[in-house]
Amino acid sequence: MKKENFFIKSLISRKNRDMRPSRQSPNGHASMSAWLVARGNKTFTIFGILAILIVLTAVFAPVITGGVSPTEGELMNAIQPPGPGHIFGTDKLGRDIFTRVIYGARISLTAAFAVVILIFVIGTFLGILAGYFGGVVDTVIMRIADMLISFPGLVLALAVAGIMGASIRNAVIAIAVVSWTKYARLARSLVLKIRHRDFVAAAIVSGSKTPYILFRYMLPNALPTLVITAATDIGSMMLELASLSFLGFGAKAPAAEWGLMLNEGRAYMQAAPWLMVFPGLAIFITVVVFNMLGDSLRDILDPRDE
Amino acid sequence: MKKTWKRTLSVGITAALAAGMLAGCGGSADTAGSAGTSGTQSGAGADGEKVLTFGCQNYGDGLVDPTNQTNAAWNLMRYGVGEALFKFNDNMEVEPWLAESYEVTDDHLTWTIKLRDDVKFSDGCEMTATKVKESLDRLKVEGPKGSSGPEKFLEYEAEITADDAANTITIQTVTAYPNLPGNLAYPVMAIVDVADTTDWNNGVIGTGPYVIETFTDQVGYTLVANENYREEVPYDRVELLYMSDASAKAMALKNGQVDLVENITNVSDIQELQNDENFTVDIASGVRCGFSWINFNGVLGNDALRQAVIMGIDDEAICASNLIGGLYTPGYSVLPSNLEYGYDTLENPFAFDVEAATKLLDDAGIVDTDGNGIRELDGQDIVLDYVYYDNRLLKEFAQAHHQYLTAIGIEVNEREGSSDDQWSSLVAGDYDFNANNWTTVGNGDPTEYMANWCSTSSANYCGYVNEEYDKLYAQLVTETDPDTRTEIITRLQQILIDDAAVLVDGYYNSSMIYSRNVGYAHIHTADYYWLSTEIVPAE
Repeated sequence: MKKENFFIKSLISRKNRDMRPSRQSPNGHASMSAWLVARGNKTFTIFGILAILIVLTAVFAPVITGGVSPTEGELMNAIQPPGPGHIFGTDKLGRDIFTRVIYGARISLTAAFAVVILIFVIGTFLGILAGYFGGVVDTVIMRIADMLISFPGLVLALAVAGIMGASIRNAVIAIAVVSWTKYARLARSLVLKIRHRDFVAAAIVSGSKTPYILFRYMLPNALPTLVITAATDIGSMMLELASLSFLGFGAKAPAAEWGLMLNEGRAYMQAAPWLMVFPGLAIFITVVVFNMLGDSLRDILDPRDE
Repeated sequence: MKKTWKRTLSVGITAALAAGMLAGCGGSADTAGSAGTSGTQSGAGADGEKVLTFGCQNYGDGLVDPTNQTNAAWNLMRYGVGEALFKFNDNMEVEPWLAESYEVTDDHLTWTIKLRDDVKFSDGCEMTATKVKESLDRLKVEGPKGSSGPEKFLEYEAEITADDAANTITIQTVTAYPNLPGNLAYPVMAIVDVADTTDWNNGVIGTGPYVIETFTDQVGYTLVANENYREEVPYDRVELLYMSDASAKAMALKNGQVDLVENITNVSDIQELQNDENFTVDIASGVRCGFSWINFNGVLGNDALRQAVIMGIDDEAICASNLIGGLYTPGYSVLPSNLEYGYDTLENPFAFDVEAATKLLDDAGIVDTDGNGIRELDGQDIVLDYVYYDNRLLKEFAQAHHQYLTAIGIEVNEREGSSDDQWSSLVAGDYDFNANNWTTVGNGDPTEYMANWCSTSSANYCGYVNEEYDKLYAQLVTETDPDTRTEIITRLQQILIDDAAVLVDGYYNSSMIYSRNVGYAHIHTADYYWLSTEIVPAE
C-alpha cells in the first residue's frame, strides 16, 4: 500500500515536470527566464521604459506641472493658443491644457489597469472553474459569457454605464462587465486541454484537494497566455474608457480625463484645434506604448515560439 | 535586403495613406474663402434667377400647420409663408402687419381690427374679413387636436364677426385682455387660407412673401416668390435646407453651399466668421433669458448660501469670455435688459464679490471643518446638483458656474441630460440648480413667464414663496393699464433679485450669418421671424 502510494506520487511529480514548460513554473523560473529574454529584446526594453516613464509622469504630475491645478482656470484666459505660460494653450474654461493632459494620465492609467486587473481576475477564475468542473457550472458560466458576447462590447458598456450613471468608477465596472468573457473563454479552453490528462487524474486519485489542483496545475497552465492577453488589452481598455468618457458616460467634468477633454474640444476643432490635438496625442502615445509593450511581451512569453 | 525593401515599401504606403487622409481633411480649408463663387448652387441661378440658399435647424419635422404644434406655427412664420395681423418690432412693441389699425373698448372686451386692403393670399385670393374670421375660427376647431394651445392667446369663447364692407373684424372676448394685439402677433395666430389649403402639413397657403413649392422630409423646402405679394419679393426662389449641427452650418456657409444661416450656437465658429470679411454676422439682443431655477426645498433654501452663490459668480466675466463669446448679454434680472421693464432702475445687492461671498458664508457658520475643501451645512458637504441640457450654451454656463463655486468651497455635481430630463427633474424637484432658456415675452408680455415664481401658480416648480410677489402677480393678471403693469413687473423683478431667487446667466442673442451673396439680412428680437423681404441679394 505504501509502495503504491509512493509510486503514484513519483509518477505525478515526473508528469508535472514533463507537462509544465519550465518557464511557466510558479517557483520563479518563469520570471527569471522572461527577464533573460527581455534583456535581449530591444522592443520590450524600449517600450517598457516608455511605459514606466508614462507611469512616472502620472505619479509625479504635481511636480511636473509645477503645482498648477488641473481643474482651476481663469475665464479671461479661455482658449489661448499654445505659447509661453501655457505651452499647450488653454481650454474653454481657461484651464491649462498641459496640466490637464499630465493629470489625465493618472485617471487613464488607473482606470485602464483597474479594468484589466478586474477582468483578468474575474475572467480567469470563472474560466478555470468552468473548464475544470464542466457540467452545470460550465454551462451556466459559458452561457452568460455567450450572452454578453452577443452584444457589441462598447454598446453594451454604454448601456451599463448609462444605467449606473456617469462616473469613471462606473465606466470601469461597465467595461469589466462586458470584457471578462474573453479571459473566461481562454482560461476554460486552456484548462480543458489538460483537464483529462493522467497527471490530473492521478492528483485527484492521490487525494489532492480541488483548490490545490486548481492553483497548482490549472492556473499555471493558463497563466502565460492570459498574461499576454492582459498586457495587450491595456491599450484597448484605455481606448474604451476614453470612448465612454468622450460620449459622456465616463469621467465627469471637471475631471482631467483625455476622452472628456476630446469631447470638450470637439466644438472648437476648427477654431482651436489644440483643445483636441494634445489630449488626442496623449491617448495615441499611451495606447501605442502599451500595445507595443504587450506585443513584445507576447513575443517573449508566447509558448508557440519555443 | 529583401526585408529592408519590404520595410521601406510598408513605410511608404503608410505615409502615402496618411498624407491622403490629411489632404482629404484639408479640402474644406482650400474652399473656405471661395464663398460667392460657387456657381449655380447659390446666388444667381442659371437664367438670372435670384436664388437664396438658407441653412436652418429643423424644428417640428418641418410641419407648417399653426395648430399642430408651436414649432409648426413658428416654421410657417419663419419661412416667410405666413403672416399675422400684428407683429413685434425689435423693441417687442406691437405693430400692425396684416391689420391696419385697431380699436378697443374701455373694458378691453371688444376689439375692432381694421384690415389692410391690399393683401392677397399666395393663391391669389383676397384676404377679406371673412377669410380672416375663417382662419381664426379654425383655431377653435383644430386647436384642441394639436399642442399649439391657441386658447392661450385667444380664448375659444371669443366671438369673431367679419364685416367685409368695412374690411374689419370684431373680436368679442369674455376675459379682458390687456394686450390682445400682442397675442394676435404670436405665430400660432397666423392668418391662412382655410378654404383653399389642401396640404396642411407642408403646403399651407399664407400671405407671406414666399410660397411653398416642394417639401422633402429631413431635407427642407423649396420656396418661390409669392407673385401676389403686396411688395416686390427680393428672391425668385429660396432653397431652405435643414442643418441640425452648428458646426455643419458654419462649414456649409464657408464652403459656399449656403448663403445664409441662422443661429450658429458654437462660439468658436461664430467668432471665426466674425473675423472673416467674407461673412457678416448679425446678432440681435433677443428676449430669451438663460437662468437656473433654484430649488428652495433643498440646501439652497438657506438664504446666506444662496446669496453667497450668486455673489460668487462673475456673470459679466463669463459672458465676455471666449466661452460665451458675446452670445449672451449679462444681466441679473429674469427679464432682459433691452425690454421696457425698468431694468435700469433695478438694484443688485449681490453683485460679484468673492470676498464678500466668503465672508457671508463664514459668518453664517457655513465653513469647511473637515479640511476637504468643501464647506458644510448641517454637517453635510455642500454638493449642489446642477441639472442642465446642451442647448444655447447652458452647458458652458453650468461649467463656468461650477468653476466659480468650487473657488468659494462649494462643490457642484453636474448632471447633463436631454431637455426632457431637465424638465422631469424640475417637475420632480430633484435638483438644486435647473438650467434652461426661456422666451420671456413670446406674446409681447411677461405675465405667463413671471408665473414661474408665483407660489399659487402651477408653474412654480422651485418652492419659492414670497407673499408680496404673489399679491402683485395676482394684480398683474387683471391689470390693463400699461404703466401700472410696467411698475408691477419692475417690482416683481426686484423682489426676485432681493431674495436671490434665480441664478441668471444672461440674455441670449440670436444670430444670422450671411455670405457676400446676400446684401442684407437681419435677425429679429422675436426669433420667429426669419425670411422676410428685408433679406435681399447682393447688388
